[in-house]
Amino acid sequence: MADKTRLPQPLGMLIDRKQPITFSFENKTYSGYAGDTVASALAASNQWLLSRSFKYHRPRGVLTMAGQDANSMVQLHSDPNALADRVEITPDLEVMAQNYTGSLSRDRGARLGLLAKFLPVAFYYKAFFKPRGMWEKWAPLIRKKAGLGQINQNYQPEYFDKQYQFYDVAVIGAGPAGLCAALAAADAGAAVLLVDENAQLGGSLNYARSDLEGTQSRQMREALVARVEANVNIVAMTDATCNGWFADNWLPVIRAKRLYKVRAKQTIMCVGAIEQPAVFHNNDLPGVLLSSAALRLINLYAVRPGQSAVVLTGNNDGYTAVLDLVDAGVDVKLIVDLRDAPAYDAIAEHVCGLGIPVKIGHAVYAAQPDATGLHLGSVDVREIVSRGHCATRGEIIACDTLCMSVGYTPTYQLICQAGGQLSYDDDSAMFTLNQCPDNYYIAGSVNSLWTLEAVVADAERAAIIATNALGMSSRQIPDLIVDVQPQSPNFSWPIFAHPKGKEFVDFDEDLQIADIINATRDGYEHIQLVKRYSTCGMGPSQGRHSALTTARLVADATQRTVAQTGVTTARPPFSAEHLAHSAGRSFYPARRSNMHHRHLESGAQMLQAGAWYRPAFYGDAAARTQCINREVDNVRNNVGLVDVSTLGGIEVRGADAGEFLNRFYTFNFLKQPVGKARYALLTNEAGVIIDDGVACRFGEHHYYVTATTGGVDRVYQSMLKWNAQWRLDIDITNVTSAYAGVNIAGPRAREVLSKLVTDIDMSAVAFPYMCIREGSVAGIPARLIRVGFVGELGFEVHVPQYAGEALWDALIEAGQGQSIKPFGIEAQRVLRLEKGHIIIGQDTDAMSNPAELQMGWAVSKLKAFFVGSRTLKELGKIPLKRCLVGFVVDDPNAPIPLESHLVVDGDKMVGRVTSCNFSPTLKKPIGLAYVPPTHADAGSSFTIKSSGGSLVVAQVVDLPFYDAGNLRQEL
Amino acid sequence: MSVVISPTQTLRRSQLYRRHRQLGADFAQFGDSIAVDHYGDDEVSQARVLGLADLSTLPRIGFKGLGTPVWADSCGVKQPAQPNWATLQGDNTLVARLSSNELLLASNLTGSSKLIETLATATRAHRVYALPRGDSHSWLSLCGEQAANTLAKVCAIDFRAQYFTNLQIAQTSLAKINAVIVRTDIGDNLNYAIFSDSCSLEYLWDSLLDAMSEYRGRAIGLQALRDCATL
Repeated sequence: MADKTRLPQPLGMLIDRKQPITFSFENKTYSGYAGDTVASALAASNQWLLSRSFKYHRPRGVLTMAGQDANSMVQLHSDPNALADRVEITPDLEVMAQNYTGSLSRDRGARLGLLAKFLPVAFYYKAFFKPRGMWEKWAPLIRKKAGLGQINQNYQPEYFDKQYQFYDVAVIGAGPAGLCAALAAADAGAAVLLVDENAQLGGSLNYARSDLEGTQSRQMREALVARVEANVNIVAMTDATCNGWFADNWLPVIRAKRLYKVRAKQTIMCVGAIEQPAVFHNNDLPGVLLSSAALRLINLYAVRPGQSAVVLTGNNDGYTAVLDLVDAGVDVKLIVDLRDAPAYDAIAEHVCGLGIPVKIGHAVYAAQPDATGLHLGSVDVREIVSRGHCATRGEIIACDTLCMSVGYTPTYQLICQAGGQLSYDDDSAMFTLNQCPDNYYIAGSVNSLWTLEAVVADAERAAIIATNALGMSSRQIPDLIVDVQPQSPNFSWPIFAHPKGKEFVDFDEDLQIADIINATRDGYEHIQLVKRYSTCGMGPSQGRHSALTTARLVADATQRTVAQTGVTTARPPFSAEHLAHSAGRSFYPARRSNMHHRHLESGAQMLQAGAWYRPAFYGDAAARTQCINREVDNVRNNVGLVDVSTLGGIEVRGADAGEFLNRFYTFNFLKQPVGKARYALLTNEAGVIIDDGVACRFGEHHYYVTATTGGVDRVYQSMLKWNAQWRLDIDITNVTSAYAGVNIAGPRAREVLSKLVTDIDMSAVAFPYMCIREGSVAGIPARLIRVGFVGELGFEVHVPQYAGEALWDALIEAGQGQSIKPFGIEAQRVLRLEKGHIIIGQDTDAMSNPAELQMGWAVSKLKAFFVGSRTLKELGKIPLKRCLVGFVVDDPNAPIPLESHLVVDGDKMVGRVTSCNFSPTLKKPIGLAYVPPTHADAGSSFTIKSSGGSLVVAQVVDLPFYDAGNLRQEL
Repeated sequence: MSVVISPTQTLRRSQLYRRHRQLGADFAQFGDSIAVDHYGDDEVSQARVLGLADLSTLPRIGFKGLGTPVWADSCGVKQPAQPNWATLQGDNTLVARLSSNELLLASNLTGSSKLIETLATATRAHRVYALPRGDSHSWLSLCGEQAANTLAKVCAIDFRAQYFTNLQIAQTSLAKINAVIVRTDIGDNLNYAIFSDSCSLEYLWDSLLDAMSEYRGRAIGLQALRDCATL
């Protein structure tokens, strides 16, 4: 049975009548078809009211049917501000209207409209800024009244991602110009991306007739689309929005849940033009819509726009709309032609012969609502007596639909983003675009061409220029295309002020004619200032329907031309996009040592240090302190094993390797014997400590230098930078990932390691402290370094990365009899603190120099140069301002200070704590802190402002806290 | 009776071996290396659509320094004329020229390369420095007709076959980590060798499989790559 809510086929090209769908709007069930938008399905059910306006809560309905206006904003379950004329219905879709109090049809907020005269432009700025503090009281009320939809705070993130795409030519817009440009470029051999925001290729060919019979557009569309779909060089993306333009034709194209990052060698913008509304009293009532919206409803969705209509036109396109309305069974009561001397084309001539009354030189002066107050009931048609002024009396025409066809603006946003200039031609009353950047072209109606012949020729011309630039063709570039139009499609002044106002310039922000003019009278004459003062163009539709009228009004009010007035700056995004499109599928690199899974299997609590995952400690997170203390005790008394794979490793090889290190680090390395390791402290040009490690000399021309986990990349880059200047004969290679490493530490470390080493004499005499050896451990080629970071007998064992897990397994097995246990970096921090060793970045900051840290021993006084030496020499001439000292807290009842707690002297801040832990070995809190030099001597005391403001007295002690004679690490 | 080969029976283990096991991998010996032979049936078909193989245990080595080109030449290494191009030696060992003075060598799909073995122990000339590429870099193989589309989700380079030709090299950022990507087609099958930070292997593996899911890509064993080479 035929659906009486829909027009007969072939109308409704986007809907599938075999697939009925039910959904709800405002908790009421509606039906539609697959392919319907929310707005079209509601319109088919005679539900025209979609939303309430932002400021006055006025009823709003379909305006464009193109997703270009805020009238159609609705609330979906997880998606506020969805466009009802873009969102396709799906089974059981729940849709709610937005921005009302009470119900959509009885919105209590609409009472604000009665106060409109007391709410002038910039009302907020004028009304709420005094007395002081008043805004804080008003703001919550105002914000409650305003607003666009609600965020679903239980939203579960969905999968959004990104993809790069590369094309010779990107064609944005798949109307007749876009289709022809894409085909011409593709036929020349270019790889073409064709993007269109609509569900179907064809643009205006889908709904707008170009000949009397109404066949030309359809046939042309079918032919062009068939050719596009058959062309292997063209990728066509529908339902996709090019949302900006960035340098070198970088185009963000959004489709569904993906952001395509398109790189195009050439871009052709065929983005068309946006039909503009007329400005008159109550021009925002549901039932007042653009002619193009009516045509879309009829042709795309088989929905009749109303029962009885008036067509307000300032061009011949209004007459074309009349034909479709009549064919759809709409009773067209009257054609109101703004022009006093219309130049008809063939279609208009034909329409004039249909017997429909036509009033030339007339305007719709006002629209009036029906009895419900929610829809158009009639229009007041009056003769135009002068520009923008009508006769005092007119004729009231009852109708439920008013179609407006008064002109267009080019869709200039993406072109202006690229540097295109917008000009205004007074003769045609139209904006035009020029001065596009290189490799960027416009074609079609965005280029102010309107006949199909001109549009096609212009598109092919752009494609020729583009493919010539690509070297894919060498065709003669045709002359600039000139359109043959009897009259401009833009009527010069479709703006009619009314004593009661409510002639809306900007529907988004409820801005009326007086608001714009008053903004200029308040001194905000520049269009950019008018925008910010009035908020005109700042709403969701970003001035698509207000920019032209605003420019005309401001120009008129300031006695300038529209060209001089211009429009506000167009910035990306072109249309609203989900934050998820920018944020979606971010990458978070993660580095894991070869032993990572062994840590997990041993119950490690992992933490992330930069990109690295490292074991913090092993055991129950709830027993953190006990676990750490147990690990410390085991290292002090037996033997522990810690993963040091994350430590940086850099090979410096070549004849000048020693000279390089000598210049790069503070110590002397020229005389470092082969087979020895030496502490390496790194300062920058400002003498600030930026890293440390150990330099191991494995050969006359071969050093293996360790660096901190977080600092190795910076050290490596710094090495490359300096040697680019010094040009020493060396090679520098970052081998951090090439080596896995452990530190086996504790009095029984040698005992364990000796079981697995057969080719190195492990005795204390043969392999003393700060010596290095190469050999094998458990059959794995290894570099061994005797170090003492944790203050015990210790060996760092560095092996090829692939064998890290095998090494770990072998050591754990070999150490069972010696009570070997793994320990994490938290225990390591405590152990090194007991030994008084600093951690770069924790105990240093952006000002720390060696003298402050009492590390003058690590700086050679004999070298002529090292990086930072000159600054340190100068710093050495002035007194120290602070010193890093070791301290203990003897009061067992005092809270343990934390890192960054302040050192105070009365009410003055004089320093800060950098490290502090309870020492399981010393059985009291120990730490490092910056204090004034006057408090730096052992035996001095200072005060720490600890948690909750409690004051803790700390005693300065000599470092290290543990094993001052270094006997244990040199066992 | 077939011998079950464990990925942990040698010292050299891919960091992915647990993931391979979870995917039901059967491992096999390739030269001195143990790698995934296959996970399931008909992986050749999968390789033609989109497959990801872990070759991280297979041999590779690198050299750099001013003396490298001449020395490598004297050792019989056929080198590309320009940086960022690769060549295949007679035994299909890959030689990638990463800069004027830097080479990366990777074995063929049998897991053995006499050339790499020879160069690893050869006396090096002045200003020739060995690089532990087998340790510092993981090695993945992304293959199939959807490989370029997959890479487009994680990398800003245009890897489409008509624009990124066989044996071309890109040294770039892949899913925010550094990578050397070499197009090395296997037979007529599109293939990209990806060399990246060995410690980031699990991250990269997961990132690529995630990007591949849209195209029904999945992990494949080394045997499928070898079969592609012989088809």
